[in-house]
Amino acid sequence: MLSWAVRLEGRALWSENADVGVAVYGESLRNFGGTEYRRWDPSRSKLGAGIMRTKRDKSLLLPEEGSTVLYLGAGHGTSISHLHDHLCGADNDLGGRLVAVDLAPRCLRDLTHLAKTRPGLVPVLGDARKHSAWGVLLPRKVNWLFQDVAQSGQVEIFIKACQRFLNVGGIGLLSLKAASERWTGEGEDVLFGKVEEQLVENGFAVEESIKLTGYEDNHVLFVTRRVE
Amino acid sequence: MWLWYDWQAAAVADDDGIIHDQAVWDGFFDQRALIERLHCIANGGLTQEAMLLHDRFPDAKPLIHGDEQLPEADWPLPSDEALQAADKAATEMARQGVALAAGDPDKRLEHLLRASDEMRATFLTMEARLVEWVGLFLPEVRFGKDRSSLPKQVGEADSLATLASKLSVSMPEKGPSKSEWKTLREWGESTATFRGKLDRLENAIRELSESHLPSLSIMLGPLLAARLCVEAHGRMRLARLPAGTVQVLGAEKAFFNHLKTGAAPPKHGHIFMHPWISRSPRWVRGKIARTIAAKASIAAKVDAFEGEPWSQSMVDEIDAKIESIKAANPKPKRRQR
Repeated sequence: MLSWAVRLEGRALWSENADVGVAVYGESLRNFGGTEYRRWDPSRSKLGAGIMRTKRDKSLLLPEEGSTVLYLGAGHGTSISHLHDHLCGADNDLGGRLVAVDLAPRCLRDLTHLAKTRPGLVPVLGDARKHSAWGVLLPRKVNWLFQDVAQSGQVEIFIKACQRFLNVGGIGLLSLKAASERWTGEGEDVLFGKVEEQLVENGFAVEESIKLTGYEDNHVLFVTRRVE
Repeated sequence: MWLWYDWQAAAVADDDGIIHDQAVWDGFFDQRALIERLHCIANGGLTQEAMLLHDRFPDAKPLIHGDEQLPEADWPLPSDEALQAADKAATEMARQGVALAAGDPDKRLEHLLRASDEMRATFLTMEARLVEWVGLFLPEVRFGKDRSSLPKQVGEADSLATLASKLSVSMPEKGPSKSEWKTLREWGESTATFRGKLDRLENAIRELSESHLPSLSIMLGPLLAARLCVEAHGRMRLARLPAGTVQVLGAEKAFFNHLKTGAAPPKHGHIFMHPWISRSPRWVRGKIARTIAAKASIAAKVDAFEGEPWSQSMVDEIDAKIESIKAANPKPKRRQR
């Protein structure tokens, strides 16, 4: 068990279904000791891939249950649904809040649908860079922030968002897509090294950089802790 | 002095974070009012409470919650109850935003155009197969340029003999079996319905394009206007593109090959489809493409910022200009050695 809701069985990752009987994206459902779990497909979710690949404590990647977290670049809600299982549970028994921001109406269409049956999930249609537009929804800073926006300047967006929304000592996860950065130099490893330097310069301790090759090519998940 | 505000409260504090005055709004049970406030904040506006305190403390600088400049203070943050109301309102706003996207002509145009491309490809392969298929059984048939009536004729004929007499050719010695003829006839029928569907689809594009891009439509024709808009990912983005990009829009492969290998740059992309370019002699096409792209770029700006749509006289002016380019270059430039 990685948390009360997330478990590793053999090579597969599962999360306790907060909306029993419903598969969100066609994943398989299975009972473990009378409780229904959904299979967390790591090739569809970068957070899932990070949990599978990390060499450190896997539960470090998950937020504290019942807390408020911010998720930038929510996409179609694959990762979000599992995160919600862990953070809120059925009918939001744990009182968690998951603020999910995305720019594309197409993605929000799936998210608003998800939010109907999953209280605690707050879908926001907005730009991850325009904090003033939706920042009032987060009166206090959070301890866990995830960013997965595939656009250039991802690192600057992440640093700004963390300075505004992440507590000192909180965990910030940055999923970096190499192809989204303008980089014509020596190759991906150099790019990822530069990003790590940039994060450290801006007051982050990089706990781990996890290569997601195999699940998601040309992606790295940076696990950082805000230190100042 | 600082004026802090969020969607439900406002407060004035000094540099030490001591609060001098505050105003709290408790009407968050009214979701419509709450949504209105969230929209107002998203657009950078002040709430009623913030304006009230701003009147009382004109020298306090109003800053939204979370701004770096604000000092640490015990701001009147929302209660759990208020926060839950805000979450519900945010979800409702997201739903409204998604619903609004259905009204976005850029997105509607994209689906229409892609659908018509797919349908055209299907229709052309079906028609080509039909021509070959009929040609196998009736080898004497010669289709000129006009083979568009064939699908209908095949679909309406009750036997190969009827079709042969309609096309005024003799019957072959060996004909198709009964079931084979039936499939051939149905193939003709479907091809004919596809033709009709394609026409209706293109009419829908014309209609939308003429209202969404009036100037560009009158200049280049509604279908080409729609294609440029979709290829540029929307009207506003098309308006912001430089004319040089509009010129080679649709010729990305050749253009990036040019950047990569230094091969000759493409002279035109989608705009080649317009007879101004495709019907002109090869050696003036590049010059004409530049002129048209520049004008199309202006037309796109007129449409995007909803100015006075162009009339036919504007198009005639462009036409005259293109004729003068053609007249000035009657012969290809001699190759320089």
